[in-house]
Amino acid sequence: MAVCVAVIGKDNSPLYIGGIGNDTSSDNELSRQWLVHTALDALEERLTTANPNNSGTNTTTARTDLRDLYLGLLFSTDTHKIYGYVTNTRIKLVLVTSSTSPSGSNIRDAEVRTALRRLHALYADAICNPFHLPGDQITSPKFDKQVKNIMLNNV
Amino acid sequence: MATQPNDYTEFPTEIILKPLALIGLSGLDAVNNAVHKEIWDAFANNRRADRTPVRFKLLNNTFEFPVVKPKRNSYEWYIPKGILKKNWIHKRVSLIPAVIVIFYDMDWNDTQWNEKIIECASKVQSIRAAVEGHATRVAVVVIQSRQSPPPSEYMLGAERAQALCAACEIQSKSLFVLPHGDHLMGYIVRLENAFYDIAQNYYHHEAKNIKQHRDHLNKTTHQYLFVRHQFKLGYLNELKQDINTAHKHYVHAYNNLLETRTVDTNLHEVRTVAGYINYKLCKILFALNLPRDAISQLKSHIEKYKSRVGSTDLLFEHYAWLARQYSAFGELFDEAIRAGLPAIQSQHPGFYYQHAAQFTVKRRQAMRSLCAEALQYPPAPDPLDGILEYYGQRPWRPGRLSADPHDPQKEQAAILALQYNERIFNHSTIIISFLGSAISQFKSFHSPRMRKQLVVEMANEYFYSADYGKALTLLTHMLWDYRREKWWYLASHVLNRALQCAYLAAKIQDYLQLSIEALSKNIQVPNNDKDRIFRNIMSVIHLNIPAPEPDLPSSSQSKAVELWQSMIEKEPLQVAVDMANISSFLEIKPKFKQMKYRMDELIEVELYVRLTYPAVLEVKKVYLTISSQSETIEIPVTDDINQTITLEGSKVKRFLCQFKPNPKDVGSDLQIKCVSFVLDSERKRKIILNFKTDDKKSESIIHPELLHFIMSPKSDYEFDCIVPLRVASVTSRECKWSIEVTNCSPALQGEWFPTTFTVTNNEEIAVSSTKIALSLLSSPENPNPESVTDLSLKEGEAQLQPLHISVGNVNRSGTHTNTFYLKTNRTATITVQIRISYIIDLPAIKKLECMKDFTCKITVIKPFEVTSAFVSTDFSPISKCFVDDPFIVMPQIKILSPWDLLIIDTELEVVDSFKNTDKTKPISCIRNLEVAEKNIASDAICIQAKYNPKDNPTRVGLYNITWRRKSNLHGLCVMSSTALSGLPIDQCPVSVKVDYPAVIELLTSVPLKCILKGNTNTPIRLSLVVKWTDDYIFSGYKKLSVMVPPKGQVELKYNIRPLFAGNTMPPRITATVIGDNSSQDAVSEMFEKAFPETIFVVPKYNN
Repeated sequence: MAVCVAVIGKDNSPLYIGGIGNDTSSDNELSRQWLVHTALDALEERLTTANPNNSGTNTTTARTDLRDLYLGLLFSTDTHKIYGYVTNTRIKLVLVTSSTSPSGSNIRDAEVRTALRRLHALYADAICNPFHLPGDQITSPKFDKQVKNIMLNNV
Repeated sequence: MATQPNDYTEFPTEIILKPLALIGLSGLDAVNNAVHKEIWDAFANNRRADRTPVRFKLLNNTFEFPVVKPKRNSYEWYIPKGILKKNWIHKRVSLIPAVIVIFYDMDWNDTQWNEKIIECASKVQSIRAAVEGHATRVAVVVIQSRQSPPPSEYMLGAERAQALCAACEIQSKSLFVLPHGDHLMGYIVRLENAFYDIAQNYYHHEAKNIKQHRDHLNKTTHQYLFVRHQFKLGYLNELKQDINTAHKHYVHAYNNLLETRTVDTNLHEVRTVAGYINYKLCKILFALNLPRDAISQLKSHIEKYKSRVGSTDLLFEHYAWLARQYSAFGELFDEAIRAGLPAIQSQHPGFYYQHAAQFTVKRRQAMRSLCAEALQYPPAPDPLDGILEYYGQRPWRPGRLSADPHDPQKEQAAILALQYNERIFNHSTIIISFLGSAISQFKSFHSPRMRKQLVVEMANEYFYSADYGKALTLLTHMLWDYRREKWWYLASHVLNRALQCAYLAAKIQDYLQLSIEALSKNIQVPNNDKDRIFRNIMSVIHLNIPAPEPDLPSSSQSKAVELWQSMIEKEPLQVAVDMANISSFLEIKPKFKQMKYRMDELIEVELYVRLTYPAVLEVKKVYLTISSQSETIEIPVTDDINQTITLEGSKVKRFLCQFKPNPKDVGSDLQIKCVSFVLDSERKRKIILNFKTDDKKSESIIHPELLHFIMSPKSDYEFDCIVPLRVASVTSRECKWSIEVTNCSPALQGEWFPTTFTVTNNEEIAVSSTKIALSLLSSPENPNPESVTDLSLKEGEAQLQPLHISVGNVNRSGTHTNTFYLKTNRTATITVQIRISYIIDLPAIKKLECMKDFTCKITVIKPFEVTSAFVSTDFSPISKCFVDDPFIVMPQIKILSPWDLLIIDTELEVVDSFKNTDKTKPISCIRNLEVAEKNIASDAICIQAKYNPKDNPTRVGLYNITWRRKSNLHGLCVMSSTALSGLPIDQCPVSVKVDYPAVIELLTSVPLKCILKGNTNTPIRLSLVVKWTDDYIFSGYKKLSVMVPPKGQVELKYNIRPLFAGNTMPPRITATVIGDNSSQDAVSEMFEKAFPETIFVVPKYNN
């Protein structure tokens, strides 16, 4: 389903970027990182428009708390579609599908939502490790394996 | 399109310009005739958007109109040679006017009227002859100099106008009069509108003519004509400013074009024309405010033509064409936004410019693979020479429709020529320009990261075009952002490219800084070849030329070496690198050992250094820059006295620096501003690595507590867990003095309370300039103590706070004793601060000022509490008094003080409305009374009300008590005043005084005298009734009425005789006021009060 999944910290630093497929060459890694990095623009724009006054009254903060964590399709290029998800602690999850592959092009929104929710759960598990420092890159091989599973599962 | 670089794909100007109806003006001599010039200027200048969409052209006499082609009656044998003729639009917009307007100077009452009318008619005729065959409309404007003709000439004007129309063979609505005078602009605007109407009419007719052609066409041979005619219709409608209809026709043209068969030979023409039509369509859609339609039009356009690649030898042409489609659309989009169209982050012109850049990159790739052999332009004849009649056709085979090349050799030469041209074309400039446009768009549509990526691409492009300086500038700026967001992979990519640029441009400062960062563990370098980079740094320090970076363009390498040779021994010889902003191979953690240092302590800073890069690094000098309030000092870091420090890779070294604090810095902070490492060789160049501390930047995002979770090797001093401490404060030296305070606490409110303190010097040596300062400290329960509390060194005399006592020299173990007095009116705890300061000469530090604060808490309580009671003269409590009726005030003093007190005297100062009943002031009955805690002293003073004031007095008066502590024999007396609460005053017209004995013997007659006294200026009549009781018999009037004269008195005498012993109730008199009974209540109360409740009767002893 997905060709790339990224977990981005609240300071916008990448915590994890995983890609699958036969594109392990450095050029592809680079384009993947560009793609995820530029997706942050759209993510931040969504976040600022979702709650126009961050320092607003209690009612607005309450409303933003209830907001759906799944942001939906952020943008699409000729070759990829990028979906976003933001946790309450501003950890951003990004999922990239390929529009060129058949499984990626007719993916349904609900599938992406489920995948991202599962990713969120995995992320929560991974950082529960007391030896993981919040803000550090996630190096857990278990996490990596499970994320790759999510990406492959729906293919 | 001026902003974008030219190449052959650029759209011709006639396609881009907005079509405007062409109106020819004839008969205006703008050069010689001032009036004509003014008229022409009014027409031609200042054509803003709000004016009529027409274009004026001044026709002189020699102007030639294009020849009309003979009308074709049948298209049967006609085979079109191409789709769109290049000159057709040009003809419409600048050669064939829709209207020709002939200007002629003539007044209706001109004397030479007949000659003029003939001349004008002939002019019209000659214009008619010139435009023969075109349907151009003719109109006449008569320029009249007279303002307004006299009414008598109205008829004449009408007649003559009719005559002129007839002579010129024009309709009366094509004849206009332009009075030359005021309001020229107004007339011009109206004329303009009239001409525009005629022009619209003309274009409508032209379009109709073309529509008629369609019946003659057939689909097999006239495919192109379907396109051409629809395009023409679209264009004519645009001239007519009917863009809806124009859009419809352009859509037809576009669809007809899609239906044409495309082969390699005509593909270029088809897609060129398709591009033009698409451009027109998109432009109209934006003008119609249908941006979504415009975008989908472009998308489908690209989709349809993306696969029509054409000849593979000329693949680059296809990409060039695609790039142009995108960039042209981007421009249209941008224009629309400037005209007010809102755009969003996900849909704005930047994307189209970006696509244009991407396709240009593809174009270059295609060029690289195809044009490698096109090293020379083909020999004459130039295959690209030739004038083309149609858009998009090839110069070497114009007008040919056949699918196969008619001359393979010529075709070959032409392809070579095109390839050669492409090879020498500078793709980078066009890519950079597209990227530049895209960058500015992404910037304005809140996409900073997208913008950054494009900037990096732009830098790459500069790199390819060997402009390394520019590339380096861009990259170093972008590197900063990626580093800050910790996208190390991207940062590595940017850094490696920047390093290449820095090498090629031989920029020593940048080269060293980038190399140092490249050694960081976060950065990946190609081939993982960090050793080379480390060696390069060392080479540069030793003034040697560094080894080249991998994957450099070979053409620039030798030049780079030359540059390095010329630069290596020159400035900058001292390279400072700001390490705080970059990720590097050195990690440092400076740490003050303590948060606070006393003045007499040695300040110690621990510096932990980790070299993450596995190599041995010799550092010539390391120093800390520490700043304080007074100065900034550099503290050298040494390794066993050695200045040179050797760091080993992957190991942590610990250094300890010690220094003495500056006495001037007492009470301020010391801060580690910078840690500097100097890399040096025997040669001249050195690198200074500065780890600066930015006050604003937070040390680390990680909470320091979490650092303890990191597994850090013990051998590395647990480097990862160290929390740096860059700020420490310096406090003054500990003071070795002590204090002893003696006083009789608690203090009493209002007294001058003495406190004696003794300070002792416990220092090892004598001190000088000792000073003591006493001040009051405020506390939450006792704010602003100065306002209610006096402090003094002398009893009974307040002094300015703080109190200063100068002691001077004090020997070792010497003491100083002093007493201060404190007086306060507030019952709270008073804190007195005793600050001792002195100067001491220590062996280490001379003239060190030491200071110590002691505090002394003193509780203040009330000495006593005063309550008051009011009683009548017979000591029964009263709640009100009557004027001139004496009563007793009884203040009761409850002693609260734990110390025994002596009440020296008391006094009641009555307010105005009261007076003492006695003539002389009575002596206090509790005078010189000694009291102890919990005793109650009662005083009694008899007073009476003088008059009845308007408002009841709130208090009777001030009760002053003069007292002192019993123990304090010689001290000052304290006078405490208490206000006694008030008593309501009433007035009674009569006062009653009853004289009766306190005790009576049984069965003995005694007199009872009752005196009534008038208090008012009027006589008062009372009806008196004696209330008889069983206990007594009495003699006298039982019921009578009396008249009490003003200020006079009436005496009533009774004899009473008690019948029983014990407490008996005597008879009493009640009174009723006769007449005005407003004072009845007071009188009743007065009588009630005057008579005794009981009288004690003793039994009679029988002797």
